[in-house]
Amino acid sequence: MVQTSVKKRHRKAYRINRTVKKVLSIFGRCLICLIFAFPFYWMIITSLKTYQESIQNPPTLWPQVFDLSGYVTVLTKMNLGMYFKNSIIIIIAVMAIQMVVMVPASYAFAKYDFKGKKLMFAMVLVANMTPTVITFIPIYIMFAKMNIGGRKILTTLWPQILPFGANAFGIFLLRQSFMQIPEEIIEAARLDNTSEKGIMFKIMLPMSKATMATIALFSFVANWNAYFWPLVMCRTEEVKPIILAIASLKELEVGLIWPTIMAGNTLVVLPILILFAIASKKIIASMAYRGVK
Amino acid sequence: MGEIKLENICKSFGTTKVIENLNLTIKDGEFAVLVGASGCGKTTLLRIIAGIGPATSGNLYIDGEEVSDLPPGERDIAMVFQNYAIYPTMTVRGNIEFGLINNKVPKAERTKLVEEVAEIVGLTPYLKRKPSELSGGQRQRVALARAMVKKPAVFLLDEPLSNLDAKLRGAMRSELIELHQRLGTTFVYVTHDQTEAMSMADTIVLLDKGAIQQIAPPSVMYHDPDNVFTAQFIGTPPMNIMPLGEKFLGYRPERVALDHAYGDGFYRKAGNVLTREMLGSETLYKVALENTVGSDGKQAEIMVKSADWKFKVGQACEVYVDKDDLYFFDSAKKRIREKENETVHRECMDMINRT
Amino acid sequence: MNSISVQARKPHRKLTEEEKAKERRKQKTRPYFMVAPAMFFLVVFTFFPIVYLIVLSFFKYNLISKMQFLGVDNYVRLFTVETTFGVALRNTAIYTISLIVLLIFLSMLLAIWLEHSSILNAIAQRLMFLPHLCATLTVAVVFQWLMNDEGMLNAMLRFFHLPALRWLNSSDTALMSIILISTWKSLGYYTLIMLSSLKSIPTELYEAAALDNTGPVRKFFKITLPMVSPQLFFLLITITIGSFKVFDTVRIITEGGPGDSTNTVVLWIYNKAFSGTIQVGLASAAGVVLMLIMAILTGFYFKALNNKIYYQ
Repeated sequence: MVQTSVKKRHRKAYRINRTVKKVLSIFGRCLICLIFAFPFYWMIITSLKTYQESIQNPPTLWPQVFDLSGYVTVLTKMNLGMYFKNSIIIIIAVMAIQMVVMVPASYAFAKYDFKGKKLMFAMVLVANMTPTVITFIPIYIMFAKMNIGGRKILTTLWPQILPFGANAFGIFLLRQSFMQIPEEIIEAARLDNTSEKGIMFKIMLPMSKATMATIALFSFVANWNAYFWPLVMCRTEEVKPIILAIASLKELEVGLIWPTIMAGNTLVVLPILILFAIASKKIIASMAYRGVK
Repeated sequence: MGEIKLENICKSFGTTKVIENLNLTIKDGEFAVLVGASGCGKTTLLRIIAGIGPATSGNLYIDGEEVSDLPPGERDIAMVFQNYAIYPTMTVRGNIEFGLINNKVPKAERTKLVEEVAEIVGLTPYLKRKPSELSGGQRQRVALARAMVKKPAVFLLDEPLSNLDAKLRGAMRSELIELHQRLGTTFVYVTHDQTEAMSMADTIVLLDKGAIQQIAPPSVMYHDPDNVFTAQFIGTPPMNIMPLGEKFLGYRPERVALDHAYGDGFYRKAGNVLTREMLGSETLYKVALENTVGSDGKQAEIMVKSADWKFKVGQACEVYVDKDDLYFFDSAKKRIREKENETVHRECMDMINRT
Repeated sequence: MNSISVQARKPHRKLTEEEKAKERRKQKTRPYFMVAPAMFFLVVFTFFPIVYLIVLSFFKYNLISKMQFLGVDNYVRLFTVETTFGVALRNTAIYTISLIVLLIFLSMLLAIWLEHSSILNAIAQRLMFLPHLCATLTVAVVFQWLMNDEGMLNAMLRFFHLPALRWLNSSDTALMSIILISTWKSLGYYTLIMLSSLKSIPTELYEAAALDNTGPVRKFFKITLPMVSPQLFFLLITITIGSFKVFDTVRIITEGGPGDSTNTVVLWIYNKAFSGTIQVGLASAAGVVLMLIMAILTGFYFKALNNKIYYQ
């Protein structure tokens, strides 16, 4: 049996400890919120300052004068519409190709047995782990030599679309999702004389909505934020997507005009912020809460 | 050594009050079973005793000492969880000696204790295995061994048999009873199965919606229920209850005789067989009674458990119940006993006579 | 009884042997058609490039004139003449190790701290996650601005009477600054992964541990850690591979400088392949080296740690 005096000491320490801990923890959490929110705040605030104010030392936490010249510069001196259009086309094209390529492949890996399946799936896994930094030189050389519709393929958007046609990551996820669909449902569909294509699109896909949303989300974010791949592939201004364009804001005006740069970045981050504001819980759930291999 | 006293215990989850002013004393060495439907508060109560889900207010005494502020690990109790909660990343041996290591028991003694306990529950050949390599029954023994090795003053068990298949359940049931007899420690056992409660308990604590309905040994629960709830909870099928004026009348299906009385046949009604279920040695009939109103206001339908299997569906019959097998309950559904309330009891008997 | 269904069905004729064989063949070849597009893309855009990269590494090529076979010359050069490659490799190694340690340690800590459901925690979790969704460009540029000599971070340091730092402008502190930026960007993502992992640990285990009188430290090492080990392993691999690829941040704000203090392997490869005197062969050799390093590391992780992970 435990001694009474020891127990009394435990009880008192227990209670004091709890209040001290509580205060510290609230303070700490607010600190964390500040650390992660501040750079965003700073970006937006700087974009609304005049150039002179932005380079003031010590910096001002709130603009003395609200000035939108940063935004004006970005919106007028850059052909934002074109870059934006490029990004959207790339994103949509990639998603479209991936749908056609991924869905049958995942279905086959999930529900069929065929010779070479293991090897091919191993290839998918290896491809998943092979980063673009390894493949960019050979692919660039390949594209540099190719023509399409009479022009060099590098002057089109294809080099930013085609290499991502087979989303190995997507195949992996979708296969997992398909594997969890009970065999009986598919058999019932077959008994109802549904074609394999029908099974894929009318039964398995609707049941994998969450996974498809996750894949679409990853794809959207990756392609919207893309810098490295466009940098390698874009040799002309016309095919640059939006992030790459914003990256060149530094060269737009003489010197580093921070309000302009911040304005450009605020604009480019805006869709993500809006998306996140609407569906933060779902986004986090699909990106961070997946089952891990 | 292990007397448990709960005094004015209240428990709320947020704004929902689940237990209000509950008082209960469990004697040292007793095998007490907390039984009731899902949500009645039995597991909540167990967790209050354990300290893992403390009460909102009230006092808890173990062996005369107030333990409400003590962390669970210092209360000298052990618990077997419904889903065993054995540490999946440790071996069987690791699981069993985990608590001992925390309590700084020296290695030699630890090994001795672990091997002793493993011997008792039959886990000696499995000490090196991990839980994923064990069957459900073996995992349960690990949970049991882990609890036993601490030699606690109180054993808490939260529906430990509910995840086992029927055959294993029966075997484990007798093993647990044997264990209790051998150790003599206080056992507090939670179950929703009244058969389990009846077969294992020294004392049954019947709970409903966070309140105690009756505390009594099994035979008393069965033969002498305090209220309608208890009368209908214990026994399969439950006691037949029907209105008797403003009060209630009850009798057990197994005490109903068909077409002839067991004894004095004090209560007699004409009826009609509605359904028939062949159980083997007994047959379960649902009988509609003529000129009798049931609890729902419509024609009374009672269950009869009889050794006589010859009655067919649709057949007319007569039901007889002896005087001593009749139970009366007042309008608040509390039991009217002859000894306590002679006049009212005689009134009820008269009402039977007249109808 | 069922007069409706009988009439609705088409008369079923028997298939000939030939038709049956055709159907069977169709069944057998169907999966191959289904995976064909995916395999095509993977071969063309992943496996063939890998092979081509290896081939290129044995040649001298500047994208214009013809390729010249060099044997293993490029590889020799990488480790002898091209001293900047060694520097880039070292920087990348430091960067990777720092990120692994910082991210795993901090994400585990923060996940435990922010596990409880509360409004403050929910806000903190969301704010932490946001940087991960933003472009590396944006994060890099904003921090470049914050880390300016006259920027906000130095202003805050001065406010607390601490010495201002040179951050990205000194070869002593530049790499550290880059590491900080990357940690800031990814911490939220990894913390939330660990958080979901923590939440999947059944509370009963902790209750049993409480009844076993377990102290907090022992509880962490004996219960929490083993139960999240699969996710930790996933984090280890992901962070390692991700860190070796570091490019965007260093290209955008430091371009490898000052000096070569923030030059990384991928930046080195990119510069050799596309700027200055183009040396595709050399860049490819470096790419092959990078690939080998990542493969060996991953293999090492699996070998060394596989039996320590508790798979559920």
